[in-house]
Parts: sequence; structure tokens; C-alpha cells
Amino acid sequence: MLKIAVMIKQVPDSQDITIDPVTKTLNRSQARNVVNPPDVNALEAALLLKDKEGGEITVITMGPPMADVALLECMGRGADKGILVTDRFFAGADTWPTSYTLASTADYLGGFDIIFCGEETTDSSTGHVGPGIAEFLGYQQATYVNKVEYEEPFFIAERDIEGATETLRIGKPAVVTITLNANAPRNPTLKKKIEAYKKGITIVANKDLKLDPACIGLKGSPTIVKDMKTVADPVKTPVKPGIEELDKVISVLVERGIVK
Amino acid sequence: MANFKENIKRINSSESISGRMPDYDAIVVGAGNAGSAAAITMASKGLNVLLVDRADPPGAKNLSGGVLWGNDLAEILPKWQTEAPLERFIDNKKIGFLTEKSSIVIDFKTEFFRDNKIAHSVLRAKFDPWMAKKAKEAGALVIPGITVESLAIEDRTVVGIKESGDTITANVVLLAEGVNPRLSIEAGLRKPLQDRELSVGVKEVIKLSAQKIEDRFNLTKESGMASEYIVGSLGNLNIGAFFYTNKESISLGIVSPMEELRRNGVTHTYDLIEKFKSHPSIAPLIEGGTTIEYGAHLIPEGGIDSVPQLYGNGYMLLGDAAGLAFSNGLVLQGMNYAIVSGIKAGEAVAEAKARNDFTAKSLAVYEQKLGSTYALKDLKTFKDIRKVTNNPKMYTVYPQLLEGILLETLWERGQPKKKTRDVIGEAASKLSVGKVKALTDLYGIYRRM
Repeated sequence: MLKIAVMIKQVPDSQDITIDPVTKTLNRSQARNVVNPPDVNALEAALLLKDKEGGEITVITMGPPMADVALLECMGRGADKGILVTDRFFAGADTWPTSYTLASTADYLGGFDIIFCGEETTDSSTGHVGPGIAEFLGYQQATYVNKVEYEEPFFIAERDIEGATETLRIGKPAVVTITLNANAPRNPTLKKKIEAYKKGITIVANKDLKLDPACIGLKGSPTIVKDMKTVADPVKTPVKPGIEELDKVISVLVERGIVK
Repeated sequence: MANFKENIKRINSSESISGRMPDYDAIVVGAGNAGSAAAITMASKGLNVLLVDRADPPGAKNLSGGVLWGNDLAEILPKWQTEAPLERFIDNKKIGFLTEKSSIVIDFKTEFFRDNKIAHSVLRAKFDPWMAKKAKEAGALVIPGITVESLAIEDRTVVGIKESGDTITANVVLLAEGVNPRLSIEAGLRKPLQDRELSVGVKEVIKLSAQKIEDRFNLTKESGMASEYIVGSLGNLNIGAFFYTNKESISLGIVSPMEELRRNGVTHTYDLIEKFKSHPSIAPLIEGGTTIEYGAHLIPEGGIDSVPQLYGNGYMLLGDAAGLAFSNGLVLQGMNYAIVSGIKAGEAVAEAKARNDFTAKSLAVYEQKLGSTYALKDLKTFKDIRKVTNNPKMYTVYPQLLEGILLETLWERGQPKKKTRDVIGEAASKLSVGKVKALTDLYGIYRRM
């Protein structure tokens, strides 16, 4: 029976984000929160592994208290437990303390055979946190994976490299990051959601992890945003196809037998 | 009910679930105003309630084009005026006609509305999740993001709901699934709505700063304006329009009977809303605004005749799903009707539970309760209103007649003035409106409205 973790993040739905025309900053106030899309693929990869090998899936997120619904959503899809890592000490973290805090949480929960992460988040796109967790924990890792199988005592991870598939054999325990659209995630079901909402989630705070406040949250974040520039929209020169181009298109279509 | 019998999907006796304890006292399908009101009512009385909604957060997909009247809401959520995400309280109602070049509007601004602040503009995508949250706080289990697939029916009784191969059971299923009640129709609990029973509303939310809104509409920081128009400038179509202020946006839209659109055949609703927006007296009000949201919704406007059987063995129909919306040409209301139906359905379930009887006979108390409120009474009182609101002259000739009279009486042309009687007579003959016909129509409005 495998002990599986999935690390997820609640992000604003990118469809709802607009750019303020004056300040040029992202306006996410109208955006609905969703589970970071590649994380949903990571969860599905974990569920597929569990379906085959058996095991228990713990979904972990670090975020504000309102992120509980993201965990419940994942439990509705089939995860067994939800852990919300939340504390004002953790707030304002860049990817370094985030990886450190999540790795510490995994350790606090007794470690895992395998930890799944999404390849990156849609709201910051660093791709740091999965590998960061692996390094802090000293786990093996494979990134940009689309399929994971278990051949005791190894995990077999498939990664898409352009034009070919690379298959890696990695030891246990391991961290894998899963690519967006790696699989077709199953939907939550009413029955599982009811169970999830009844069961609820567990909160982990720094009184549990006992991490040095200097190493976590904003204080523990070495990244400083020095400047931000908005890239101007590329100038589009609209090409207006004329009759000649249209004739060409038609002749190609006729040539290929698409139209007669 | 014949249809209902035909549609019963019998479950093999081996799978029979009627023998065991149901999972819930009640399952509510749909976290709109009706569903949440029912869930709050039942959960507050200690019942074990499951509220399921397709959207996440619950109710976030809901849409309306009107003002919320909170009389009934106050019954279950007394602090709604301070706690709910409301936009502006309405102390200014306008009703009027639009012709191609004019607007003729009654502008009613009153301190009476300011005193009790009972009417508010709301954005449902915020308001409905709040109501669902209140249901949760009252003790209901609220599950968002799930679309119920079908009803579980056994021995002519609704015994639960089905989703992903699972059946969740309850003594009563409250169907608050909206104007297009798929589950109820598929189970034969009600007939599909016909064109003549429906209107289609098309709406836009236009972002505008609070300052601009307050300046343009002569409002204070919290007060708001709501208006309804008969639009006589859109060819021969019977179109109504609405326009109201939110905190930092305007909601506006058009409402057209489905039959009208079908009859016309060529006009698209988006053209109609564009024409309304570009009307000379509407365009300046939204100038500089950006459309941030648009949507469309069906409105059950069939009146009392299209209200189906409201209950049966193990089920009840609520809100829009039960056709409980009211329109008389002057007002178009649905949210308060939904809330009152939710409260009465919830009370009925609690009483049925005390009797431990969830048959149609026991649930009939729902209709009795609803019948004693304005909800069913209004629909009965105004049962002939469509004869007025469907009269094409209301949208074409009469607005023009009014316009003609006002042009003649309120405008100085440097010509000898005429008596009002002659002005009306001339305007009417210009539009070839027979005096007798006009008087008959006027009497019809007087009698039915």
C-alpha cells in the first residue's frame, strides 16, 4: 500500500483575470478560485497509481483558510485526506520557504512513498516548488512527467520530450511533477464530495511544524521583486485577404479533392 | 399525472432502497433563492438537509434582471440588510415608454422607500453564494459543483437523487432547479414549458464608477434607481427593458416573450439589447462604461395557468421550476416569489416529518401554505394580464400616441394652441387608432392590471 501525497495550490481562474488598463497590473478580484490546473492532472496521476497499486492519498495545500474548498474538491475526486497548511507565519512566502514548509509538512506527516505536484502554477509559473520539496526532503525526483507506474521498489516515470518519450526509473521515496493535460482527470462525484465535506480537512500550523520564523513566510523569502515591466501588445498588421488569396485557397481545396 | 406514471423507472426489488432509512430528511436541488430559502428554513428547524448545486461556489451561475424585495427574506434571515452582499437600496423607480426618438417616463422617487430599505439591487453571483453560506451555517450540508443526473423513483415516489451511479436518498426532494427544470421534466413531474409560457431576458452588466452612477442618476452613496420600460422602438416586437444601478455597475437588458422572437424569426436578442443600449435616452446613461458581463435567462411568465402540480409523493417544486414568477407589465418579480416558496416548502417538510408521512397527501400542506401568501394569490389575481402585455398596440401605437400628444401640448410651435381633446383626437387619427378600440384597450388595462 503506497503512501501518496499530492501538493496542490488554489489559484485564480485565469479566464477571469483581466489586466487593469491603467495600472497594468493583474486584476484578480473578480476571479473565481480553482485548483491549479496541472495539479488536477497530478491528482489524477496519483489516483491512477492508487487504483492500480492501492494506497492512501493525502492532498496538501499551503494557503489561506479559504483554500479548504480546493482540498474538498480533490477529496471529491477521490483523495482520502486533506491537509491545509495555514498560518500567518507562512504568508508572503516565495518558492523557497513554500518548498521548505511543504517539505516539512510531508516530514511532519511521516513522509511519503511518492509526492505528486503539478509542473507549475498558472499564477506564477516558476516550476520551483516540486523540485524544491524533493531537495529539502532528499527524495528522488522526476519533472514534467505524464505517467507514473510502480515496479517495486521503483517508480517508472514517463516524460514527454519533443518527438520522443523518455522513461525514467526512480527510487522510493520520490517527487514527480506532472504536466498539464497529462491525463483526463475524473470528475468529483456527489457521494465522494458528501464524504469529503463530512470528513472535513486537517489544519497544520507552525505550532505543529515548529519552523524557525526567520526561514518561513515573507521573512524567509530571498526573492525580491525589483521591477516589473509591462510588455506592449505586439502590433498586429491585419492582413486582408483579397480575391487572389481566396482563389489560391479554393484551388488548393480543389487540388486536394476537398471541394469539387 | 399520467405522464408521471409512464415515466416511473422501476428499480429491481433487489436494489430497492425504500426499506432503509433515507440519508437525509430532505435534499434540495439548486442553490438559488428558492433552494437556499428552503434549506435554511428546514435546517433551522433541525432537519437533516442536503443542498446540491451545479456551480462552485453554490449559486454562482444564477442570473436575474431585477430587484430583490426582502420582505420574505427577513423572515428567515433577519439581518439580511446588514449581512448580505447587496448593491444599492432602491428609492427611485421609473416606468415608461420608449419610442424611437422619445422617452416618456414616470419618475417615482420617494422617502417611503428610503425608510424601510426593502428593495435592493443585487448581483446574484455574489448574493446567492451568500445565501448558500447561510444554509450551511444553519446546519445544511451544502455541496457545490455537482450536477444531479436524475431522480430516484420507486413505487411512484421520489426517493432521492442519482449521480455518477450513486443514489442519495431522502424523505423529500425539493426541486428548485430553475426555469428549465430538467430533472422534474424527465421524471414527468411537470410538463416542459411552452414558448407562450416563457420570456427570454438578455442582460449586460456595465462597469461604471460609483461617482459617475451617483452623479448621473442623482443618487446617494447607497441609494439606487430601478426602471422598467416598454420599448416601442424595436419594430413590431413586444419588448420590455430594465435598467438598474448597482454599486459600481449598471445592469440592463431586454425581455421578450419567446413567441414574439419565434414569430419574428429574424431578429436576434443581441440586436435588441444593442438597440436598447443605443436609444437616445439610454446611451448617455451608460457612456464610458465597459460591459463586464453578459448573460441570458428564461423567465417563466405563464402565470397561474403554467404553474404545475406543486407536490407529489416525496417531492415538491419550488421557485422558477414551479413557474413562480410574476409579471404585470409594470413589475417583473421572481426572487421574492422563489424565497416565499422555499420558506413554505421548508415548513411543509418539517410538518410532514412530524407526521412521518411524505406522501402527496401529507405534502399538500405546501400548496395550502403557498396559497395563503401573495405568491399564488398574485398569479391568480393577474391571470389575464397577458391579454394586456401581449397586445401589440401597447408597444407600438400607444407609445407613439402618447408621444404625439406630448409633442403637441408641451412644445411651442408658434401656432395657435389646441384643446387637449382635439390633440388626442388628431394624434389618434394620424395613427389610425379607433377611439372605441383605444377606450376598450384602456378599459382592459384598467380591469386586468
